[in-house]
Amino acid sequence: MANPLFDDRTVDFVLHDLLDASSLCRLPHFAEHGRETFDLYLTSCRKLAREQLFPAYRPMDTDTPRLEGGQVRVHPAMRELWSRMVELGIINASTPMELGGQQLPALLSVMGNAYLMAGNLSAAGYAGLTTGAAHLIEEFGDERLKRDYMARMYAGDWAGTMALTEPQAGSSLADVRTRATPTAEGHYLISGNKVFISGGDQDITENVVHLALARIDGAPAGTKGVSLFCVPKRRLINGTLIDNDCASAGVFHKLGWRGLPSIALNFGERGDCHGYLVGEAGRGLAHMFVMMNGARLMVGATATATASAAFHESLDYARTRPQGRPLAVRDPLTPQVPIIEHADVRRMLLRQKAIIEGSLALCAQAAKWADEAAHETDPEAKKRAQLLLDLITPATKTFPAEKGFESCALALQIFGGYGYTSEYPAESYLRDQKLNTLHEGTTGIQGMDLLGRKVMGDGGAGLQILSAEIAQAIEAARAAGDAQAPLSSLATQLEQAVADLGATTMELAQRGISGDRLGMMRHSTDYLEMFSLIAISWLWLRMATRATQSIAATPARGPFLRGKLKTAQYWFATDLPRTASIGALIRSGEESFDSARGEELE
Amino acid sequence: MKILVTIKRVEDYESKIKVKPDGTWIVTDGVNYRANPFDEIAVEEALRLRDANMPSEVIAVSVGSELSVNEIRSALAMGADKGILVKQAGWVDSDAVARCLQKVIEREKPDLVLMGKQAVDVDDNVTGQLLAEYLGWGQATFASKHESLESAEEKAKKPGVKLAADKASVEVIREIDGGLETLSVKLPAIVTVDLRLNVPRYASLPNIMKAKKKPVEELDPKALGVDVTPKVKVLKVEPPPARAAGIKVPDVAALVQKLHSDAKVI
Repeated sequence: MANPLFDDRTVDFVLHDLLDASSLCRLPHFAEHGRETFDLYLTSCRKLAREQLFPAYRPMDTDTPRLEGGQVRVHPAMRELWSRMVELGIINASTPMELGGQQLPALLSVMGNAYLMAGNLSAAGYAGLTTGAAHLIEEFGDERLKRDYMARMYAGDWAGTMALTEPQAGSSLADVRTRATPTAEGHYLISGNKVFISGGDQDITENVVHLALARIDGAPAGTKGVSLFCVPKRRLINGTLIDNDCASAGVFHKLGWRGLPSIALNFGERGDCHGYLVGEAGRGLAHMFVMMNGARLMVGATATATASAAFHESLDYARTRPQGRPLAVRDPLTPQVPIIEHADVRRMLLRQKAIIEGSLALCAQAAKWADEAAHETDPEAKKRAQLLLDLITPATKTFPAEKGFESCALALQIFGGYGYTSEYPAESYLRDQKLNTLHEGTTGIQGMDLLGRKVMGDGGAGLQILSAEIAQAIEAARAAGDAQAPLSSLATQLEQAVADLGATTMELAQRGISGDRLGMMRHSTDYLEMFSLIAISWLWLRMATRATQSIAATPARGPFLRGKLKTAQYWFATDLPRTASIGALIRSGEESFDSARGEELE
Repeated sequence: MKILVTIKRVEDYESKIKVKPDGTWIVTDGVNYRANPFDEIAVEEALRLRDANMPSEVIAVSVGSELSVNEIRSALAMGADKGILVKQAGWVDSDAVARCLQKVIEREKPDLVLMGKQAVDVDDNVTGQLLAEYLGWGQATFASKHESLESAEEKAKKPGVKLAADKASVEVIREIDGGLETLSVKLPAIVTVDLRLNVPRYASLPNIMKAKKKPVEELDPKALGVDVTPKVKVLKVEPPPARAAGIKVPDVAALVQKLHSDAKVI
């Protein structure tokens, strides 16, 4: 069976039953949209992902980009795929109409992209990077940059990249060294080395536009000295494209995402690399971080997509692979049963489902808050959505990435020994998935961002609003539950866990106030896990509530809706209880790893 | 050139179709619907012909319940210029559909009508032929082309159905049992399309937004003077027989014997 990439009914359930996506159209910015445009757009994304992107996924994983005579050559299928993605309008789907876009809610654009990512994350990656880079120019660039560069990127004529990382400056971007020397003509001369630049060169589009971080000569050390520049591979001078001295120094061999080249770039080897300042000098990181919620949300969606594609492979295999007999059958002459008949295989399937659908709901909820934060007309509601989005972003990036890796491992496990071979695709999804805990801020960075900046930074305001949201969901679950649906016991369980999170947060805040900042932050990654488990449980409780409310009205959806209830039940039985032990660990301030030094770590 | 193209709302072939226990029809609850894939090929061909012969217009027509407006919208989102829905709830047989279309065509006076050769729900494969008869027009069924679906012509979205230089006829390559044959059909005409004619485009987001503003006119069969009472009576609906399990034979001789005496294929 062809891989469906996502279960369409689940995507529709999350969009419409859980989040009432059409309600966004009450906002003037989305007034041109409605259920009809959403459905047609998703239909096109589904077809593109299944019919065009997915068939090229394995070939692009195998036949990887290479550097030939200074030019990176990518898989030949990419040209056609690029045109199809551009034609569909995914690059500027959410861009304002006056810039040629269609003002599609991020919620829909993220869901559409999830299909494309599940089909072929490398192919979709080129488009996502281009959108991100063009968006930076849209927000901060001057009119000339918008006209000469942004417009061509949104039109899909040129592609874009984010050129941040340097060999000595990865997570610590304040340490970038690339130099920008001002000239009398207004442009800067850029020189320096960048690494891990995804899509940093290719032979799909005639130009590649890098949004690069660099330090203007004489700028102060640290964050305040970093500025953002537009550095094209070919610069546009009087309508002509001229080589801009951006040399591809090598293509990295990587674990996954093999269809998308990650390259080392040398700017200004000949002293002729022009860069154009984007936004204010010294505000490069701040400008970059405006895009960070969006970029991190996309990582979460990609992680969900990769896990979903792997899940569907394993589901199909479990249904078709005969192996062994039911426990009660001793006769070796009876036929073997498909492995889905074994309880442990079903456990592995349901666990993947719980992770993937929980992640999908989390990404969708974050995207909806992003839409409200950007386009709500009521200032209070707008501010509220922004607080919730800021708070949920570290979990939206990390939970799908970390648990998605476990999910991909379970998919591989279902294939048994075959899963370890490249005869089956389970191994490639596991490889692809690993990047998501690393890029756009590692899991460790996300933990610090959540606890230090998002929870403690605003005095717990965001967490209070989220707790109120959760309390509402608990009430709704109690009202909807009945004898068949054990919603009220799930509700009580979640109530307890939220109280536990509140108490843990208070205790850490006390530590911070008393001056023990290290003690407060020591378990920030554990805190992120506890927070994420609760956020996912909240979404599962809401999905179980909606499923319970819908069963009577739409009996034909019975098996589908009961599946949601079972998965919620599973999650509350296996994972939510873990918050108690994680909470206890955090509060204990356990410091063995922190105090371990030197030889103790060998 | 004015091109009329038909688009039918059908059960999604990826939905699990179950027959009702009383055998009167299928269970429609929980089934997804979509545009008939053959009709999507017809829409694609209409758009290519239009774009190669401007100025032209493509009208997408459906006969069905009010929900069929979704399929008309999907044709408009692919690029058709306007839509017409002949609104009739419940099952309408192919003959009634053909007579509704006849009235619409007499009013709209298109030069060419493109249709899927059949709909994937009941696979009747008669509406195009009936319509040609009612209109007294020429017809070419099962339109296809020589070039493969991976060819440069296909990628360049060249029409497979070609309008003659004098614009009085179209050249249609059609699938027949032994291969392909080429017909020249005088316009106005009915052309029904087969699977290998083209790969339909996806509705792009800009076109989806434009489609919202395109007009869809609703017509009533009664007002058109068409009696849609079905002439075809459904006696019984049953699922295809389940495939029997295979057997293993000990050697080639036994296989040949079985093929000869049981399967009677050699």
